[in-house]
Amino acid sequence: MEKKESAFGKHSSVTKPGMAKMGIKAPAEVGDGSGNIFSRRTTGDIVFDTINTIVLILFTLVVVYPLINTVAMSFNDGIDALRGGITFFPRAFTWKNYETVLAKQGMKTGAVISVLRTVIGTLTSTLCTALLAYVLSRKNFIFKKPLSMLYVITMYVNGGLIPVFLVYKALGLTNSFWVYILPGMVSAWNMLVLRTYMNGIPESLSESAELDGAGHFTIFFRIILPLSMPVIACVSLFSAVGQWNSWFDAMLYNRMSDNLTTLQYELMKLLSSVTNNNANVETMKNSDNMVTPRTMRAAATVVTALPIVCLYPFLQRYFVAGMTIGGVKE
Amino acid sequence: MAKLAINKKTLKNQKTLILMGIPFAIYAIIFCYVPLFGWIMAFQNYKPKDGMWHSKFVGLGKFERLFSDDTFLKTIRNTFCMGAMNLVFSTIFAILFAILLNEFWTLKGKKIIQTVSYLPHFLSWIIVTGICFDVLSMENGVLNQVLVALHVIPEPINWLAYPKYFWWIVTFAHLWKETGWNSIIYLAAITSINPDLYEAASIDGAGRLSKIWHITLPGLKPTIMILLIMNIGNVLNAGFEVQYLLGNGLVQSVAQTIDIYVLKFGISNGDYSLGTAAGIFKSVVSIALIAIANAGAKAMGEESLF
Amino acid sequence: MTKTKSIAALSMAICMMASMAGCANNSGSGSGTAGNEPAATTAAKTENNNAGGEAGNEGGETTAASGDVKEFTAFFAVPGNETNEGNDVQELIASKIGAKCKMTWLTGQTADEAVGVMIAGGQYPDFIDGSTGSQQLIDAGACIAIDQYWDAYPNLKNFWTEEQWNSVRNEDGHIYIIPQFGNRWMYDTETTHNDEAFWIQVRVLEWAGYPKIETLDDYFKVIEDYIAANPTMEDGTPNIGYEILSDDWRYFCLENAPFFLDGYPNDGCVIVDRDTHKAIDYNTTDTAKRYFKKLNEEYQKGIVDPETFTMKYDQYISKLSTGRVCGMVDQHWDFNDAEVSIKSQGLDDCTYVPLGIVIDKGIEEHYHSNPALDVSNGISITTSCKDIDGALKFIDDLLSPEILTLRNWGIEGEDYLVGDDGLFYRTEEMRSKANDQSYINQHLCSYSYFPNYGGMDHDEKNAASPQYQPKEFYDSLSEPVKKCFDAYGVQTYVQFLNKSGENAPWYPMWSYSNNFTSDTPHGLVWATMADVKHEYLPKVVMAPDFEAAWEEYMGVYNQRCDIPVFLNAIDEEIQRRIDVASGN
Repeated sequence: MEKKESAFGKHSSVTKPGMAKMGIKAPAEVGDGSGNIFSRRTTGDIVFDTINTIVLILFTLVVVYPLINTVAMSFNDGIDALRGGITFFPRAFTWKNYETVLAKQGMKTGAVISVLRTVIGTLTSTLCTALLAYVLSRKNFIFKKPLSMLYVITMYVNGGLIPVFLVYKALGLTNSFWVYILPGMVSAWNMLVLRTYMNGIPESLSESAELDGAGHFTIFFRIILPLSMPVIACVSLFSAVGQWNSWFDAMLYNRMSDNLTTLQYELMKLLSSVTNNNANVETMKNSDNMVTPRTMRAAATVVTALPIVCLYPFLQRYFVAGMTIGGVKE
Repeated sequence: MAKLAINKKTLKNQKTLILMGIPFAIYAIIFCYVPLFGWIMAFQNYKPKDGMWHSKFVGLGKFERLFSDDTFLKTIRNTFCMGAMNLVFSTIFAILFAILLNEFWTLKGKKIIQTVSYLPHFLSWIIVTGICFDVLSMENGVLNQVLVALHVIPEPINWLAYPKYFWWIVTFAHLWKETGWNSIIYLAAITSINPDLYEAASIDGAGRLSKIWHITLPGLKPTIMILLIMNIGNVLNAGFEVQYLLGNGLVQSVAQTIDIYVLKFGISNGDYSLGTAAGIFKSVVSIALIAIANAGAKAMGEESLF
Repeated sequence: MTKTKSIAALSMAICMMASMAGCANNSGSGSGTAGNEPAATTAAKTENNNAGGEAGNEGGETTAASGDVKEFTAFFAVPGNETNEGNDVQELIASKIGAKCKMTWLTGQTADEAVGVMIAGGQYPDFIDGSTGSQQLIDAGACIAIDQYWDAYPNLKNFWTEEQWNSVRNEDGHIYIIPQFGNRWMYDTETTHNDEAFWIQVRVLEWAGYPKIETLDDYFKVIEDYIAANPTMEDGTPNIGYEILSDDWRYFCLENAPFFLDGYPNDGCVIVDRDTHKAIDYNTTDTAKRYFKKLNEEYQKGIVDPETFTMKYDQYISKLSTGRVCGMVDQHWDFNDAEVSIKSQGLDDCTYVPLGIVIDKGIEEHYHSNPALDVSNGISITTSCKDIDGALKFIDDLLSPEILTLRNWGIEGEDYLVGDDGLFYRTEEMRSKANDQSYINQHLCSYSYFPNYGGMDHDEKNAASPQYQPKEFYDSLSEPVKKCFDAYGVQTYVQFLNKSGENAPWYPMWSYSNNFTSDTPHGLVWATMADVKHEYLPKVVMAPDFEAAWEEYMGVYNQRCDIPVFLNAIDEEIQRRIDVASGN
């Protein structure tokens, strides 16, 4: 039995031979396979492709507009933007919005903490969630039903802001980095998605491994996890985006800890200082600065989305090409 | 599958699995179930100064207050309908988009389209609704301009002033923002379908549509079922921000959701207990809904939650 | 094999538990206090440890490591602007008075929520302004009684008069909050009317030959005539006669005009009868009906923008910013952004002047009021503060003349210059820098939610802050506006309206209704009234048959809202305030 770190750290290299033994195709081969399908095109295929292309391109255009508009806004002068009517291009070009957003104090600390929480949070969450999904995907597990239920219910119940705060405080999670990691360590939603996928992996694979004397951890790390890569990529993306975007926890639990601030919280503070969404008349009268910074918000959005956009291509190959199971049939 | 008896032998055989499961059970209890002591707030007139232990108990008073208010009953209807519409359409669109994208003829185009399609997910609702206003505007909104040019309508319509359009606008805004993102999970699921099946079908002379119908969709079925069941539990959580940002007094009777109601009459007026009561109501309904959906799925022999 | 498996699983389990426990310990030592000490001390200390970057500073005091400068923390339950660490003015003030304060503001929560969580956790910063959650803080025992300490701090003690302090006293006779706003040094120097009025564009007045406009009918007549003669702007965009903002809480632009039209000041929630001191519901008066009937007529004539009731604040500001909108009811701070944008396009004749419109000739209008003492909230020192005297001294020092000038004007030579006559002035560059958010964050520090004066500066030559400096004001006026001012014989915007009289002892009643909670009967009525009005007022204005729509509205209003319950609560508060003011 290896230590789990090594199994996890090296899984990409150790799985290949294991997979070959089980008769699993490596990703590259599948890519070729799908290419073959397209090489035999009939009239029906051409019609289908044409319509499909038109539909998708239309859809893309509709979806791309808000993006272009947001980018255009982010480069437009704020006062000028108040007039409205900015569509595809900035009317009064300026870097000012980005300067203001990036000059916000705490951005540097925030960026470091955000990256840390995203990396650590995603790794722990994906691993723990996948492990739970594995346990719950074992067909004969006697506590499968109660444990599943325990988690399913968590998706729909919530103690409320104050009770949760009190519990976290009792656990010592306030003014602590771990408040970003621990509460999200297992996600019921992601677990169910993973479990569904794992259920689809032929049982014969784990069974034959078991016959070979493999324990649950070996089966999990060497068979199930590698085979679940597309959906692992999927849930880790969800969890990474969740981690990267969240700011409420930073505000609620680490308000007074400047060194634990996150990028999103700093941006939220900047935006709420200039917009005042939930304010009332008297607050507004007394506040000394009131612009409606659509442009600054746009710049903040671009700054926020960019890292995820950059991360995506690394995960994308799992969705569009993907690996799959051949050979072994149930 | 025969029902497993909990006896010494199975316990012993599954020792590892059970030991693996225990920390997860403890985790769920600490992080999700312990905070539920907060639900006692719903039966109190909670005041921060008195805290959870000293606030006055009012029994079911808060629930009575909610269900005796016609406005609240209307918000249940609104929330439910918008939630259901959103669930149905976003599921269909996400699946459709995933399938179409999967069938796209170049890998590069596939990647580009996919990247673009999920990006709106990162725009906040305030930006998206801002764009909705631009598109729906009476003066120079694209929608009115196109419809007038095509003589569908004689003159521009103030779309947001009429209750009959509101739910559709909300649904469409959701589709616009989330279709690409929602499809990611289906794209991942499509990759699990054995390509041999497609090849075999091609050899049998099946067309593209028939392959989608007979191979892709059945392959996606477990994922679709699980997501559907989970999201059915969420129909009552269908909204706050977008309805709040798009709504106005004229469409208030169809735009107000449970969460908006709670904010208006509870939280922003310092009545936490009302919010908790509404939360408990939503939880109970959600769990009832998924229990029903789950039982249904089980009866049909489909993938189920538990 | 089985054995190894179970050991592995067990160790995994232990691992998970340990990591939970570990983080508990970790944060315990990291933040110095959590869990081991009374919660009350935590906030201040945590701050220290972070500032000093060191853990476990168990005996920590509020004094920070850097020199002898004390560093306090503050939370204000309103959205606000965070100053940067090392802000120039903040550091300068710190070097003069030996203390500074790190301020955090409300983000993404309501004030009550934020305060509620703090109370539940029992952890506060040194200073706090709970906004609408102020009373909760006092009730929870989170604030110290300032009047027990304040004798050594004259600037603070004399900030309000004895009577004014009395009106702030809690039921137990102590003072827990210091209202920061509405105080003037010497006399009022306001040049702009920041509050509500019927606004009209300078170009409309110019076209109409600067007529005297008194009543609602006069007002709309001028706008109608203008639109008839000038359907579009110079560039061809259609002019819009009148906008009514009705977005969420900003719907006061639609609903509260009736009490102004009747000549009453902005009590916000009711009309207070000057003789009987009883509250009157302004929503059902004849004036209200006439006002909405008028709006309805104008809507049918196309003077009111057809899109007006579906607009959000953003859209409203966009429309105003184009300069197309002839008039509206609003409070000036609410559309100030739009005016800035209008000016930046050089459309100065599209800026607005306030009019004190009434329903019938002969009614005396009360649109402009003296700054009000809002007794419902203010800044408090919390029980978490370890250096109460230091905190009080900090507030006291912030009220000393030199520091006030630094807070309000900035640094001499950088933010303003001093003329030979001793008057402060700013160059164009200084003015634009003072509007630049990142410059403000790095350079200016007004400690805006600490007590401050309006009116004159303590040198008694200059106004308290740049926007009130007469010369500064004149320099900012453009030709069309000056022409308009001359035509009406006024020098400031405020002079368009009646001079404000002394505030009545109960004024303003909104400081009472703002703190209603919907678990009280009157609070529930208040929330329901808003709900009904939000839905029906736009319908009433748009209805083809006004009478029927009004009938329906009144029917629903009276059925859903138990108005007497609401008025009784207000009556009691009016009487209480009168009693307090007369020293009973």
